[in-house]
Amino acid sequence: MELKQDDYKFIKTEEDWNRFVKREKLLEYAAKPVKRAKIKGWVKFAFVVIRIYIIIMVVLVFLGFLHVL
Amino acid sequence: MRWYAQTDKNVLMRIPIMENGAGASAAHNSQQVDINKKLAELPVDIRLRAIDRLRVTSLRNNKTHLAKFLLILALIGPGILVMVADNDAGGVITYAQTGSIFGIGFFIPFMILMIPVAYVVQEMTIRLAAVTRRGHAEMIWKRYGRFWGSFSLADLVIANSLTLVTEFIGITFGLGIFGVKPVYAVLIGFAFVLFITMSFRYHNWERASLVVAFFNLVFIPLVFFAKPDWGLVASAFGTWKVPFGITPLFIYVLLANLGTTIAPWMLFFQQSSEVDKGTVPEDIKAARRDTIVGACIMAAVAISILIITGTLVFQPGVSVTSASSYNIQFILSMITHRIGMLPTKLFALGLIDAGLIAAIAITASTSWAVGEAMGWPKSINLPFLQGRKFYLPGLASMAVAAVIVLIPHVPLGFLNLTVQVIASIFMPAAMLFLLLLVNDREIMGKYANGKANNAAAIVIMCMLIAMSGLYGVSLVFPGLI
Repeated sequence: MELKQDDYKFIKTEEDWNRFVKREKLLEYAAKPVKRAKIKGWVKFAFVVIRIYIIIMVVLVFLGFLHVL
Repeated sequence: MRWYAQTDKNVLMRIPIMENGAGASAAHNSQQVDINKKLAELPVDIRLRAIDRLRVTSLRNNKTHLAKFLLILALIGPGILVMVADNDAGGVITYAQTGSIFGIGFFIPFMILMIPVAYVVQEMTIRLAAVTRRGHAEMIWKRYGRFWGSFSLADLVIANSLTLVTEFIGITFGLGIFGVKPVYAVLIGFAFVLFITMSFRYHNWERASLVVAFFNLVFIPLVFFAKPDWGLVASAFGTWKVPFGITPLFIYVLLANLGTTIAPWMLFFQQSSEVDKGTVPEDIKAARRDTIVGACIMAAVAISILIITGTLVFQPGVSVTSASSYNIQFILSMITHRIGMLPTKLFALGLIDAGLIAAIAITASTSWAVGEAMGWPKSINLPFLQGRKFYLPGLASMAVAAVIVLIPHVPLGFLNLTVQVIASIFMPAAMLFLLLLVNDREIMGKYANGKANNAAAIVIMCMLIAMSGLYGVSLVFPGLI
């Protein structure tokens, strides 16, 4: 597989290249840090439910495995 | 002067690059940008992605029918891979047991129903990848903190490692049909996955994996060896018949089939794979098409296995109380007895392929997730030495799985049960994070879920959460349902 000139003939100037890099988000990755989400409202409630679900499941699994073993 | 092809991982492109970064721009006039110089300025993984994307953009700009066709081919990959890899060795065995126990009936239309279920869930990972350019593990870690990030990562890595054990069991059993001893079978499987993972950059890795995935289709022509009653197959869609009514075994098998259709690793795999491929919002439509095609292939393969075993192994009037009485050895012996050794060997080939494609995908999924969470370089475009931190977690988990399979008297049934239980604990959290992230307008903007998306996603997720919870409980307390 070879990069043919046809593959980049649409890039003629520096501006074309910059537009390509921006549209493809090639370098945007490190530039935009992800901020921590604010946990409030129904999301907070959902997290509480998930924690309870996990605790119940872990206890059940522990008891179940004791039974299996 | 060095050759680009000689410095990077299996890059067959041969563009001369000067040591000072100046490219072979003799053919270009002074007004043109020096593409080689620009590419040489990028880090190796991004450079290789840029080359792939140059080709995609060029095809998109070209309006000929051939270019449109080549563009479709260029943009397929993660969707088909994730869905085919979902029909892993454990999945093939589950479908074979289901068909053997319940025959041709309820589970055939049920698998058709799984197409939109799998699609709705996986489609959200496409948008997340295209918009955020980050993997699922990284988004959870950075958006919801260290606790949930490490919880998700630990669950994923443990579940993936144990799932790899089941893939090696499938590979070992399948190769055993061809007379290969377990130790050699494990070595062959390990070497094959190692070769695919280590030898190719992303584009070629994806193409090689698609070739492996293609052999998963072997189950479809096998249906014609079985000579099923097509009238019965057609009537299954109208009746959704359950042969012995709603029994505890039926619920158990139903939950197992559902658990096989959607697994937590799939969310992580497709999002990371789309990121590594370079999917941008402009490609979302193509990525959706890729995923729906993959979901249809997944269902077609599952239905084929159900029809084969429902025709050849299912015994009408014989009520079964335990899935364990229909193990894969018994099922294959019945297939041999009914239609001979060649179809059995093709079935075994399908089982080996299912184990291999899943092992390739799961190994990559582990590497991507650990790399994303730890902030390491994370791309299959990376040469091994530069990306050793990225490759090692996946390869190490595969090595552990391979060794476990070879330990004499290891409780493989217990390990299989453990992986299913871990997945059932992890599933609700993974689903919740997916829904939260894809509704987060701060990061998703106009690509956030709409009302219709959310209604479908919430219904499916509530069903999956309830079913996976019930399945987890039923595995450790078999008498409860």
